[in-house]
Amino acid sequence: MMRLLLAIIALAVVLAVPAFAGEFWTTLLTQIMIFALLALSADLLLGSAGLFSLCQASFFAVAAYTTAILQVRHGVGTLIAAPAGVLAGTLLALVFAFAVRTRGVYFILITLAFGYIVWGVAYRWASFTGGDNGVTNVPLPAIGPLRVTGTTQYYYVVLVVVLLCVWAYRILTASPFGLSLRGIKSSETRMRSLGYDIGRHLYMAFVLAGVFASIAGVLYVYHNRFINPVAGSFPVSVEAVLMAIIGGSGTILGPFIGAGIVLILRNWVSGFFHYYTGMLGIVFIVTVLWAPKGIMGLIARWKSGDRGEGV
Amino acid sequence: MTAAIQVDRLAKAFGGLRAVDEVSIAIPPGERRVLIGPNGAGKTTLFNCIAGTHRPTSGRVLMFGTDISQMPENRRTALGMGRTFQISNVCTDLTVLENLLLAVLGTDRRKWIVYRSTGAFPGLHDRVLAGLAKVGLADRADEPVKFLSYGERRQLELALALSSHPKVLLLDEPCAGLSPSERQKLFQTVSALPRDITLIMIEHDIDIALALADRVTVLHHGRVILDGTPDEVQSNAQVREVYFGHV
Repeated sequence: MMRLLLAIIALAVVLAVPAFAGEFWTTLLTQIMIFALLALSADLLLGSAGLFSLCQASFFAVAAYTTAILQVRHGVGTLIAAPAGVLAGTLLALVFAFAVRTRGVYFILITLAFGYIVWGVAYRWASFTGGDNGVTNVPLPAIGPLRVTGTTQYYYVVLVVVLLCVWAYRILTASPFGLSLRGIKSSETRMRSLGYDIGRHLYMAFVLAGVFASIAGVLYVYHNRFINPVAGSFPVSVEAVLMAIIGGSGTILGPFIGAGIVLILRNWVSGFFHYYTGMLGIVFIVTVLWAPKGIMGLIARWKSGDRGEGV
Repeated sequence: MTAAIQVDRLAKAFGGLRAVDEVSIAIPPGERRVLIGPNGAGKTTLFNCIAGTHRPTSGRVLMFGTDISQMPENRRTALGMGRTFQISNVCTDLTVLENLLLAVLGTDRRKWIVYRSTGAFPGLHDRVLAGLAKVGLADRADEPVKFLSYGERRQLELALALSSHPKVLLLDEPCAGLSPSERQKLFQTVSALPRDITLIMIEHDIDIALALADRVTVLHHGRVILDGTPDEVQSNAQVREVYFGHV
């Protein structure tokens, strides 16, 4: 009951933001929702399956580039360009998903290498990707007579898409498949002897995470209105994972809180405090040392009345 | 009649060490077979070759006539094999109920479903709770496994192995690390298993081993030195020498 009330209040606030908060905060909140979706995608692998992926930005960027190139250079409409972007990112995930043949530090290294390949291609293949300049002048999305004309409208588009993704994600994590991922994280040998083909389950998890990252990428390109290799770079992948960890890995709200903290530090605090990246570093260190389960973990501990040192 | 498990001239070497050396055993359906032998006799290695944790260096393992020597564990489970581990191996981060859900779904195609939560499958949770009641854990369904005692984890592990309705059940030292009263409880659970389940078990507690077994296989230095009834084993001089002599 309490939770439902909180959810309704939160939804009301989020719906009302453009009306009272002005363009700066509306844009920032749009960005937070998009990156929270990317963090959620990273956390499907980390929080559920225990895999630390460093190439979520690749699917994000490939989806964004695909949509941008189709819209800008070929005049393809949003109805085709947006799904095509998600499809392109997902296809890449189908290939990169072979990384699940490795575990632990090897998985981190191979996804890191994959991430650099995508970034390198985006950067070097200038005739196709626009190189350093990327693809500019991406129009706002329009489907037939329905056109998004400004930041406020696009805010609502992002809100609806992200909420739909969260709904799907919620069912996914509660489904037999989602449960199997948490089982694999806990004990692979046990899961194997219960009849699970670990490799195929992790492969599918990786591809599903790629779908969420791709949707975030498409939302991002219409928000940002241009795309360059930075979107597919290493820091974006790392930040996606760190957002999930700060907020609370293995939860749905966590990545949103984490994305909020990181992006508010970067976009707002940076306006009056020059060393905001230092603050970001301190936030990361404090999280890892004293709140390894992130903000959501702290809340859970506070609710259970445990003030002790137990983790 | 086809043996439930037939081990055919099976050998497993780790480097230069032949842990299991040309072992042949046939276990008919419904039999309760206990593997005994001193430490380093090759019991666990043989067990792991049957379960699929290890692939044999040479020789074959047949289950109801199907060669499973090179088959991955998850496919053996689909064929009707269940196992427990020597060191308790359950998903400690999950609740008791979730562990058992995973076990029930493991041999079910529904394990791939992503668009429906586990609670939305009619009858699934009830079936799981019934399985928990059998091992006396029904009232702890929603507790994380990490809060369970070692003895309770052992019971849970047995419930996990049983929930896929195995035809062949492998138990690796189910009583290891348990108190005498917990041993008694587990012994009763195991003896009460339906007789159509073929049971292969490693057990160090010789009283439990002899009480449960239809037949006993004694291993020593990777070879079978005796294959007989509990009475034959107890009265055999060589077994006394290598096994009881060292206890």
